[in-house]
Amino acid sequence: MKYKDYYAVLGLERGASEDDIKKAYRRLARKYHPDVSKEADAEERFKEVAEAYQTLKDADKRAAYDQLGAHQPGQDFQPPPDWQAQWEPSAGDAFSSEGLDLSDLLDRLRGGRGRGRGGARMSMPGQDYEIAVPITIADAYNGTEIDLDLNMPEYDAQGQLRRVPHAFKARIPKGATDGQRLRVPGKGGKGFNGGRNGDLYLNITLRPHALFRANGHDLYLDLPLAPWEAVLGTSVEVPTPGGPVRLKVPPATQASQHLRLPRRGLPTPKGEHGDLYAVVLIVVPSVISDSERALYRQLAETSAFVPRAHFSEEGSYAS
Amino acid sequence: MRVELTEMLWFEQHVVSLSELAELTGLPAGMLEELVSAGAIEPIDAASAEPRFGAAALSAARHASRLREDFDLDAQALSLVLGLLERIDGLEQQLRSLRARLPGRNR
Repeated sequence: MKYKDYYAVLGLERGASEDDIKKAYRRLARKYHPDVSKEADAEERFKEVAEAYQTLKDADKRAAYDQLGAHQPGQDFQPPPDWQAQWEPSAGDAFSSEGLDLSDLLDRLRGGRGRGRGGARMSMPGQDYEIAVPITIADAYNGTEIDLDLNMPEYDAQGQLRRVPHAFKARIPKGATDGQRLRVPGKGGKGFNGGRNGDLYLNITLRPHALFRANGHDLYLDLPLAPWEAVLGTSVEVPTPGGPVRLKVPPATQASQHLRLPRRGLPTPKGEHGDLYAVVLIVVPSVISDSERALYRQLAETSAFVPRAHFSEEGSYAS
Repeated sequence: MRVELTEMLWFEQHVVSLSELAELTGLPAGMLEELVSAGAIEPIDAASAEPRFGAAALSAARHASRLREDFDLDAQALSLVLGLLERIDGLEQQLRSLRARLPGRNR
């Protein structure tokens, strides 16, 4: 079993007072709680902090933990033989720390002494699980299957916590987009003694795509046009998640204008489709030939177009 | 062991009663009622005698349940936090939408 230094996680010395422990927890929870924190590794950090606090705030658990001695974090260790006799007498010969991590071990200790959650003969709902599922835009468009490999603590028939691996395939139906959530009823941790099974929550995130940007079920695509295409209008082939389609660009199309392709965005859970918007960019060649330059010059001399007419309108200058 | 999942529910498709919401989130029904009367969790059909709750309420109630557990917050503090989280969600949504509209963001 890997050792965890709960004091170090909370930034405390081993002799810290109850009050110090509570203060350290509050400070770190405020910083890393996944519901309020934007720190990159908030969720992981908060789990460590919460686990450390769950142990150290409870005088019995803390004493049991202290008697395990101090080891290097991550170092493999076994509880000393007399530790089990003192803290977990009811486990008897069945005692095995196999497949448990340190927090499971300390949770069992409560169960073994007939107090607290696991030990009471009351029913316990299973734990809910929430995981982030990154998918591609193509996955969102077509639906996809993902492999889930979860390691959940569960109560066994004796009310003891064990870590049980669960591997299964989950079908993400069409209709997913950034920030959407799926609930898979009953696929979280198993309930104990008639308690309902926990649920599994999947939080969908979309991976960035080279061409498309998603906003809900609408997609945005940059559409670069040459100046003459924007002026004269044209018809261009544009990629969509469902395959290329032709888009008519009307004459006098302006930069940053949005050309809408109805129902070419992502499907919704209700079976409708978002739209795809082509965002017009007007791009110019960086290298041109002599004859092109001559044509541009001719255009410059011929055209009466004044792109900055509004600069000279009333109110444009400070007076 | 491989199990094929059959039932997956989009959050959007959820409609639950107050007692189901309590069961799904582990929040006591009394506290949920307080959060509802404070406007922090809103039913779909506010006028009904048997209010029903949708995806937004389920999401807010899950937040509330975790925050209550981890910070020891009472209903008033929870409704304040939920209100702020809702505002942040709205702002992030606006930011995402503006970013999507801005050309040249993929590169």
